Amino acid sequence: MARFPSEAWFKEVQEVYNSDSSLHTGGGGACETTAAFKVGDECYRIVFEGHQCLEIRSASEAELASPETDFIIEMAPELWKAMVENIQEHGAAHDDHTLNSIDLRQDDSIAYSPEDDQARQDLFYRFNQNFQDFFDASSRVETTFD
Amino acid sequence: MSEAPVREQEHELDTSWMDQMGEWGIKAKPGKRGLTLAEIQIGEYGELPETTDNMTGRPRGATRRPEAYRVGAYGVRNLSEIWLENATFLYEEALQRQWSSATDIPWHTIEPLPDDIEEAECLLCTFFNEVEFVAGDVPARWIAKTSPDFFEARHVLIAQVMDEARHMDVFRKRALANGGGLMRMSGATSGFIGSIDLARDFTEMSTRLHISGEGAVLTMFRMGELMGQNDAEKRMYRLCAQDEARHVAFGVMHLRFLCEHAPERRPEIECYLDEAEAQIMAGLQNPAGTQAETSEALAILLGGGKAHYDEGHKMLLVIRRRQLKEYMKRVQSAGFGERFENGRSSIPEQYAAAY
Amino acid sequence: MADKDAGAAVPAAVSAGDDDGPRVEGVPEPTYEWMGLSNEWGVRVKPGEHGLRLGDLNVGIYGEVPEEWNDHTRRPRGALPRPGIPPLPYNLRRKHEMWADCAADLYEEAIQRRWIPATEVPWGSLEPLPEEVERAICQICTEFCQYANTELEIITYWQDQMSYGYFEVKQFLATATFDCARHIEAFRKRALANGGGLGIEQRGSVNRMILESRGGWTEAVTYLYLLRGTYTMALYRMLLNAAHNDAERFIFSHCIEDHARHLTYGYDHLKYAVTHHVGQDRIMQTLLAIGESIMGTELKEGTMGSAMAVLLGGGIEGGRTIGMETYLHGVGDFVRDYLALGEWIGVPREENLNPMLKKYLVY
Repeated sequence: MARFPSEAWFKEVQEVYNSDSSLHTGGGGACETTAAFKVGDECYRIVFEGHQCLEIRSASEAELASPETDFIIEMAPELWKAMVENIQEHGAAHDDHTLNSIDLRQDDSIAYSPEDDQARQDLFYRFNQNFQDFFDASSRVETTFD
Repeated sequence: MSEAPVREQEHELDTSWMDQMGEWGIKAKPGKRGLTLAEIQIGEYGELPETTDNMTGRPRGATRRPEAYRVGAYGVRNLSEIWLENATFLYEEALQRQWSSATDIPWHTIEPLPDDIEEAECLLCTFFNEVEFVAGDVPARWIAKTSPDFFEARHVLIAQVMDEARHMDVFRKRALANGGGLMRMSGATSGFIGSIDLARDFTEMSTRLHISGEGAVLTMFRMGELMGQNDAEKRMYRLCAQDEARHVAFGVMHLRFLCEHAPERRPEIECYLDEAEAQIMAGLQNPAGTQAETSEALAILLGGGKAHYDEGHKMLLVIRRRQLKEYMKRVQSAGFGERFENGRSSIPEQYAAAY
Repeated sequence: MADKDAGAAVPAAVSAGDDDGPRVEGVPEPTYEWMGLSNEWGVRVKPGEHGLRLGDLNVGIYGEVPEEWNDHTRRPRGALPRPGIPPLPYNLRRKHEMWADCAADLYEEAIQRRWIPATEVPWGSLEPLPEEVERAICQICTEFCQYANTELEIITYWQDQMSYGYFEVKQFLATATFDCARHIEAFRKRALANGGGLGIEQRGSVNRMILESRGGWTEAVTYLYLLRGTYTMALYRMLLNAAHNDAERFIFSHCIEDHARHLTYGYDHLKYAVTHHVGQDRIMQTLLAIGESIMGTELKEGTMGSAMAVLLGGGIEGGRTIGMETYLHGVGDFVRDYLALGEWIGVPREENLNPMLKKYLVY
């Protein structure tokens, strides 16, 4: 059982995501982006290339701020937890717990470009289905929050 | 197939064309993304003319034939008028991310909804069906006017026309899938979007369509996912939003290229942005604005019914504020951010007032 | 039912005032005047075996495709009009000017059968070919790029003039232009992926004939699909048969599939036009009499024939004999198909076939 958030947890999700070929089409499909997740003080770097999540690992704040990072998804730890719990319960994000819905319910976007470039922040919208599929894949990962 | 016997007859063969081919010995190799358009931009085949005199429609890099007919009549012949740095990338992305409204939307998850919500959803779908007509027609018009020397950018526009056809189709399907129907047309496509129709310059059109219009619609599609009552709607809006974000990216990146390569056009582009901001962001025609009937539908959906209209309206205003902010940041990304600092644009005021 | 012209309210499912919750200060009073305004309500189309397809939506008034669509706006078919909307220049407003019953199905088929040249063509299967053959395939690819370019330019020229009463056709044509873009991409990639390059451009007589047909979309389709398109299909079939590697097989087999959809639309539309528009057959007879001459000239003088012969013959020497004979048989097939199609559409050409095409019937 892997703890959320942790590199081990994300790597298990990565494995599930990469092995599911049904995610390779129907609006998901190939994408190219380097992004990051910020869960409280913990940072993770994620790279999508083609149909695969090529890399997901712990990263430093400095790495997140590098020019390579297209955008960072950052929200309060309780929001992250609520989303993952919802996915665990329903098999996929349900109701207002999709990344997009969570984003729109905040005063400001949960995704931002460290270079303050909206064109790169918009990659969160362009590849939204892949990120949603990635997190939805966590429904198949036994998860603990302690 | 023919049953006539193949006769061993010797024919004359003019093979002079073999000595008139383009740059030879090209061996493009697939990269990590396959053999993309970027991989074949090599040698002369990757050289983009600043201004093209290719009026015959020949593929870029093909040998010119002196007697070829000049059938092109291309109005768009300057690189700065159409180009964007990531054209190949956007086109390949579009190819990879196509979807089918028939089979990729879980239509079976739609169940009867309260009447007010169904009506609001159907009104929105009617509006989107209508709006996507513009976004399909207008880029198509410019494709035939653009020199094939800039085929990569043309291909992105062709992909957009395909995306918009799919959007037209999916919203019509949603309107007719759950006990509702189409409602009254909005007429908005003859208002501000009428000016998209009337643009006689590609960049003028793109500024209005991609950055202003589609930027606003992108936000609405994202709202659609938030408001969606079932997996079918959520998925439908999310996939449409992905496509729309690609179209917006075209507009931003093209404007960025033009800003860098044709700075003498900045004053002109500022005027287009002035008009677009006045019409789209502040006027009746912005469905996420304060007055259009579609904004009433949005408020009903965001609130979860007429009984919660006011809550929905408040959410709408918050999202409108986000929309304004993203618009400003896109224009900034395109290289025209100064207008928000020097007082030329009233958007910062609207943004501040939208609280 | 609503008064379609005035947009009057139907007995509303929900009328303004029902179920309103408590009002919040500062929020403008909604009018809800749009509620209940629908031509036909209560429609519930269910997905079938192949999902929820465009053609499935043609129920009730939403399926009424009028012979003439007098709406100059972007009103979706079946939606209520709104008075006072300025007109837009949708010049093609009669069904016979663009319709084909198969358009909706072809649209859905095109989406299902999409392919991606960058990642699905097995480019790794390309191996060096004899120089003459490589030059031939590269010349052919160059010309196919121009064929596809002509096709997408003429479609996009007409597409935004087509009214939305016949949106199925517009949507199908969007897939057709997407196919053309894909073909240009695939042929260009093939030409640049195996040690070759692009060839010399066509003179473009048939391209010009297609692009200069400004009288109407039907007239353009006559040249684009009945004449040029039928020939292109014959070429694709020959090239699939002669493919040297899996990459070429993939490209030509998929181009055949795509092109078959375009031709199906084209032929169906022409048949519809002939059967529903008095005099259309005679217009087409006139056009084809001219077009056959131009087509015949291009077949005789263009480089495609020679390039095909070299490819089919495995080189120049073989091109002079078996290559050219095989090509000429293929052209004979094109002419036979063209005549059969003309007959089917209602524009028989056998009696008046231009000698420059007739001569290929011996093959």
